[in-house]
Amino acid sequence: MGRVLSIIGSRIIQLVIMVLVLSFITFLLMKLTPGDPIRAILKVDDMVSTTADEERLKKEYGFDQPIFVQYGRWIWGVVQFDLGESIIAKRPVLDMIMSRLPATIALTIGGMVVLFLLSVPLGIVGAVYEGRWPDYLSRWIAMLGASIPSFWLGLLLIYVFSLKLNLLPVMGKGTMAHFILPSITLGVAMAPIYIRLLRERLISTLQSSYIEAAKARGLRKERILLFHALRGSLIPLVTMFGLSIGSLLGGITVIEILFSWPGMGELIVNSVMQRDYPVIQGYILIVGFLVVVSNLLVDLMYLMINPQIKQGKEVG
Amino acid sequence: MSELLISIQDLQIENRLGDKSLLKKVNVEVKKGEIVGLIGESGSGKSLTAKAIMGLLPSNMSLSGQLYYKNANLLTVTSEEHRKLLGNEIGMIFQDYRGSFTPFIKIGKQMVETIRTHYTVSKKEAQNISLQVLDKMGLDSERVYRSYSFQLSGGQVQRVAIAMALALKPAMLICDEITTALDVMSGEKVLDYIDQVRNETGCAVLMITHDLAQAYKRTDRIYVMNQGEIVEEGLPEQIRCHHKHPYTKKLCSCLLSLPEDMSVQRERVNVL
Amino acid sequence: MESTVFSKTSRLLRNPNMSIGVLIATLLTVIVFLGGAIIPHDPFHVDMGNRLQGSSSVHWLGTDQLGRDVFSRLVYGAKLTIGLGMFAIFMAICIGVPIGLVSGYIGGRVDAFFMRIIDGILAFPDFILAIAIAGMLGPSLSNIVIAIVLVRWIVYARVVRGLVLAEKEKDYVLVSKVSHSSSFKTIRVHLLPQVMPDIIAMAAIDVGKVILLISAFSYIGLGAQPPIPEWGAMLNDGRGYFQVVPSLMIYPGLAIMLTVLCCNLLGDGLKSYFDIRKGRDYV
Repeated sequence: MGRVLSIIGSRIIQLVIMVLVLSFITFLLMKLTPGDPIRAILKVDDMVSTTADEERLKKEYGFDQPIFVQYGRWIWGVVQFDLGESIIAKRPVLDMIMSRLPATIALTIGGMVVLFLLSVPLGIVGAVYEGRWPDYLSRWIAMLGASIPSFWLGLLLIYVFSLKLNLLPVMGKGTMAHFILPSITLGVAMAPIYIRLLRERLISTLQSSYIEAAKARGLRKERILLFHALRGSLIPLVTMFGLSIGSLLGGITVIEILFSWPGMGELIVNSVMQRDYPVIQGYILIVGFLVVVSNLLVDLMYLMINPQIKQGKEVG
Repeated sequence: MSELLISIQDLQIENRLGDKSLLKKVNVEVKKGEIVGLIGESGSGKSLTAKAIMGLLPSNMSLSGQLYYKNANLLTVTSEEHRKLLGNEIGMIFQDYRGSFTPFIKIGKQMVETIRTHYTVSKKEAQNISLQVLDKMGLDSERVYRSYSFQLSGGQVQRVAIAMALALKPAMLICDEITTALDVMSGEKVLDYIDQVRNETGCAVLMITHDLAQAYKRTDRIYVMNQGEIVEEGLPEQIRCHHKHPYTKKLCSCLLSLPEDMSVQRERVNVL
Repeated sequence: MESTVFSKTSRLLRNPNMSIGVLIATLLTVIVFLGGAIIPHDPFHVDMGNRLQGSSSVHWLGTDQLGRDVFSRLVYGAKLTIGLGMFAIFMAICIGVPIGLVSGYIGGRVDAFFMRIIDGILAFPDFILAIAIAGMLGPSLSNIVIAIVLVRWIVYARVVRGLVLAEKEKDYVLVSKVSHSSSFKTIRVHLLPQVMPDIIAMAAIDVGKVILLISAFSYIGLGAQPPIPEWGAMLNDGRGYFQVVPSLMIYPGLAIMLTVLCCNLLGDGLKSYFDIRKGRDYV
């Protein structure tokens, strides 16, 4: 139990450091680009702007105060679960982000399914046929997958399946059919690392003494592979997934833009275009939170899944 | 003249590049019900011989010579036919008990899995057989059945491995340094259980060890191996007192205490 | 001396992937350096009378929606895309490697403090951090490069520090320390050459990653702005015309993929080469 608490504690410290440093950097950068947020607001309101308007708005949003005061005010809000209000949409930032979260999560799950369907077979083929042509094929697929720009892959898929074959809708969200192309794009973009990781882990697992012992008991090859070797090699994959939630949220952004998928990524890019600072700040905070929570879940899962670690805890 | 189980003739193993010979013209025979010792220092090729029988050599080694189990040529059988022999006809127990069973699957499940691979029995029956043989090995069968291998002591794991052999009743059991990783007491106990299995199933045992005292005490016949070659073969008495090969002599003189051979002991004491 | 250089090179090229990488790299180098000389048209020249043409003897890869020559834009863009990718990583190395060397060499509490902060930032996705920085500074190609440098140097500092910590305890460094060499000299003479191979292999792969990143940013409109012929921006530019002229989509994407593939092949090849040389090979 003490161990669980200490893991949670160190992750909370990580979260606090991350959010403090990052939000301060963005605040500082915002301060370095003078006047802009006000101009952004004025542009949206579409008024004939006067210096008086600018002054009034500066006061209203607190931009006239020193950066530390602004920063302190923002932090104080965060502690009370208040991330401020969007300059453009005039809605609470937290609500805006949360309303986009389900779409992003749905796409993530779709991507994970594709990821699993790609990386497990290719990883197994690479390991089982190590050094022979199926292995080279699987490695080249991984290499090409790592080199292809995800948005270009998405464009090609749209071109072939939507425009030429007319099988799937081009963009937007709604039916299951809308789901297929973005999921494939995301899955392919993520797969290369997992193919490599699984291949390497499986190769080293297949050389371990317990696999030799399983062979010596006369178990069938397929059974050894699926029940004895693969299971041990999947744990690092799950870990990897948990630890790369952050880069997933990054990669998903481009795909959401490409397919007009109404997720968090689309929101943030639009906010950046409109220089909607409170949304950007809030988004960084939420991403940081998601990253740290997923890291924490990986830590805790490790304690539960892996009986050897549990054993270590009992002994240690 | 009893039936020949394992017959190895002129077995050679080289690595794929062919620049290094790992096993040179090895000849070993094991007859039905016999207990044969294969002794030598580490790296002499004992385990390699065992792995050759089990078909566990890495693919970057090439074999030549003859290797028969009963009438089956193990160098030419299909891997599927070979697999059916393993566990069922030829059992093996390893030195590294931590790797004897898959760490994240419960012992019981692995026993049931193995039994059901070789026999068409229901899960329930396989479970009963497992519990029964665990009992016979003096283990707390219910607890061990539900345990993971790392929750057991080394001696216990080795006894589970022996219980596995008892359940499958192989005609031949290869024990590869099974006591090396254990303390002396557990090691002796494990060897006693091996004897029990032999009494019950009449299986032959190929005992690979570097412990000469153990080989003298427990085996019917001994092969001495050095640098990939069998240098001497004979009854334990012959090997100990009438060895011909200089390597065997060296090996025997390393032995600290042999109660029958007081001269050697005295010599050692003087040296000390 | 010459023969050892030759045998080293031939050992590198014996890896087939590596030789494919070198081949692509040679091609790209030629394109980048001879770019201005080989382009048949002005990449910025708008010619509305000749828009959306297929490939012909005049326009080898056709023209875009403004009648600009696609081939010329691709070749011109190569200098930009590849140059910026290499520049960003070069800057990241210039900042990250010295900090990593010093932090690892000094060690102690300062080191621990900085690493704690770095770990905190590193857990944060670089893509989103770059989005945020670009968002604060405003969308433009140079701001994206700044954002990437700001994020990437941390990775190098971290890797170098790890390598230094491992090397530091080895005899030759201790000897150098004891023999009253200055810290600066110890770092420069002994530690830097040890970490460089890893850094070079890592940098090769990273240049590919950065090219992907820059083109992705340009594609979503946060990077290069029109009419700059950065490859990602070209894809964004021609977005509305793919159905009519698919070549507008195919060639820039292919160019990005080939370049990144080249980086990955070179990086992998160098890594396994250095690993073998350092005796880290597991085979």
